[in-house]
Amino acid sequence: MGVDLLQITILLGMAMLVLALYLQAESFIGPQIQGIALQSLLLGGLLGLLAAEEHSLPLAALAGLTVGVRALLLPHILARQAGAYRVPERELRAGRRVRGHALAAVLVAVAGGGLYLQVLGPALASPDGVIPFLLLLEGLLLLATRSNPLARVIAYLEEENAIVLLGALVAAGFPLLVESVILLDLFGVVLVAGILALHRTAAGVPEEGFVEELTG
Amino acid sequence: MSGLGEWLWLAVLALPTLAALGAAVVPPRAAERLSRGASLGTVAAALLLLVGPSQGSAGPLLGWDATSDLFAVLVASIYALSTWYSALDLATVRPSVLSPSVYYALLSGFAAAMLGTLAVSNLALMWIGLEATTIVSALLVMYDRRPASVEAAWRYTLMASGGLAVGLFGLALLYGQTGSLDAFALAAHPPPLTAALALVVALALVGFGTKVGLFPMHAWLPDAHSEAPAPVSALFSGVLLPTALYVFLRIFQLLPPTGALGLRELVVFVGALTALVAAFLTLAQRSYKRLFAYSSMENMGIALVGIGLGGIALYGAILLLIAHAFAKSSAFYCSGTVLRTTGTSRIDEVRGVGRRLPRTGPLWILSGLAVAGAPPFGSFAAELVILTGAFAQGSFGVAAALVLALGVAFAGINYPLGRMVLSRPEGPEPGPAGPESWLATIVPGLALGVALAVGLGSIPYLTDALRIATGGAFP
Repeated sequence: MGVDLLQITILLGMAMLVLALYLQAESFIGPQIQGIALQSLLLGGLLGLLAAEEHSLPLAALAGLTVGVRALLLPHILARQAGAYRVPERELRAGRRVRGHALAAVLVAVAGGGLYLQVLGPALASPDGVIPFLLLLEGLLLLATRSNPLARVIAYLEEENAIVLLGALVAAGFPLLVESVILLDLFGVVLVAGILALHRTAAGVPEEGFVEELTG
Repeated sequence: MSGLGEWLWLAVLALPTLAALGAAVVPPRAAERLSRGASLGTVAAALLLLVGPSQGSAGPLLGWDATSDLFAVLVASIYALSTWYSALDLATVRPSVLSPSVYYALLSGFAAAMLGTLAVSNLALMWIGLEATTIVSALLVMYDRRPASVEAAWRYTLMASGGLAVGLFGLALLYGQTGSLDAFALAAHPPPLTAALALVVALALVGFGTKVGLFPMHAWLPDAHSEAPAPVSALFSGVLLPTALYVFLRIFQLLPPTGALGLRELVVFVGALTALVAAFLTLAQRSYKRLFAYSSMENMGIALVGIGLGGIALYGAILLLIAHAFAKSSAFYCSGTVLRTTGTSRIDEVRGVGRRLPRTGPLWILSGLAVAGAPPFGSFAAELVILTGAFAQGSFGVAAALVLALGVAFAGINYPLGRMVLSRPEGPEPGPAGPESWLATIVPGLALGVALAVGLGSIPYLTDALRIATGGAFP
């Protein structure tokens, strides 16, 4: 990888990480969907650059799939679901605790970065994995801290963005077939999540609903 | 045999897949018949795999060995039992947006996804198979559209998918280190033990362990198991958890037998902790379906201990998975019959099952004994073998933890079960609930019979298949 490309890769990776922090601090669903779309677009751009550098057709195809599916199609479906299923525009709980979430996200990034650079990176002989590792942690944090169905789906998308980025940077040549099927799998998760969100609304299960049957 | 093995595996994969596609587009009655026929065909093809354990492949992605064969028999058998039992449950479920035809399509799709996971040699494709099971089975969990079941399906989808993503992250790291994700090729030429490989196994323990229901990633398990229709609960508990454990086993087998940077000890510790936590949680349950869900978690913990210890204990672990699958599915089928009869899953509201359901009551009691490891059922023999393995390796603390977990779980499961079945109901004595369907007796009875036969060592070819699958660990 040339020096310029390396710098661009780091820059794009950092931008994805900044977007991950933004997603933690954002309590409105609409901007969250736009945020994950932009993060996926950056991922697709990075894959495209790597494809051009390595003259790799499979990587170029993956870049195209990433932009088409992750940056355009899935956010479009999520936006439609947000409208059709009357998902609350803003998470009240997240709105109240937004500063706490942002602080937690920064702390996770700092602690995770330290852990990777001091322990995991040397062990793996791969410092490039730090940004995917942090994206995975931020995705898990988002999943754990949100109760809104679509916010959780966005968290899952972020986790998968981390995996694709890792595949491109550390596991070069992570089989295209596998990554393509993972993209299809995302369709399934998003559709099932949409159906469940619909039923949750219809069944009247509140955002922080306590269902007595599900205790113990 | 390789050629025949290919055809048999093709049949094992194709029959439930075609049934899933076909059932979705035909009327409910035809969907039921199609699924029942396909499930019986799948069992027949899977059983033939055992006659001559195969080691084979087809193309660059498909591959199987004796272990895959054993798990395929397990999945196919519970798929068939659940398909036959389903008509009883569907008759009483309120109309859903999912028609019975779609239910049967999803049930067959669920089985096809699990069998697909077992039929591939590529670890990432195994991951995709497991993720596909999440997508299909989430819709089955919420089939009756009650708020609790919708919420349970939602929690299950998020936790299972989120957890599995961690496992996939580990697989990407493994590919980066080795350049391969072929489980059989990697097992034949294991990569050198490095911190990176240790990290991969640790991530797999967390990622796939979420789907197995290991502590502390187990929160989805009791919800999904307790809210799903009884035949789906049987598939979850009997074969979905073991299928996820199978994928972890494939990754764990990349470690050397000794000196694995403490990872074997970590796996044994997590297994023992899971068994202990689940055993104590059985004492506090108010729903009998959640009780059986925690019992499944306990059994998976014990099986994980067997995998971590290796050798003879690995033999015990796979034997336990087989015996548990049949015993637990029997327990869930009986639970379904009791739920339909009494209208409640609360332990304190169910009394006199033995009088109201004279055939299901005794079967339920026996199923409880079987899942708790009472002799002469297969789970007893399996747990004895795992304990023997622990003693043989000098792991006395582990053995003590397992004995404690087994004792607590035995009491935690069988005391409330005994009260529900044997006690006299308060108030006026209810008579029999009406004629019990023969299907409601035959299906759990058959499953329980297999759990018993496993314990008595009377299943042809099983012992040989187990010996081969565990590398001759058992003399």
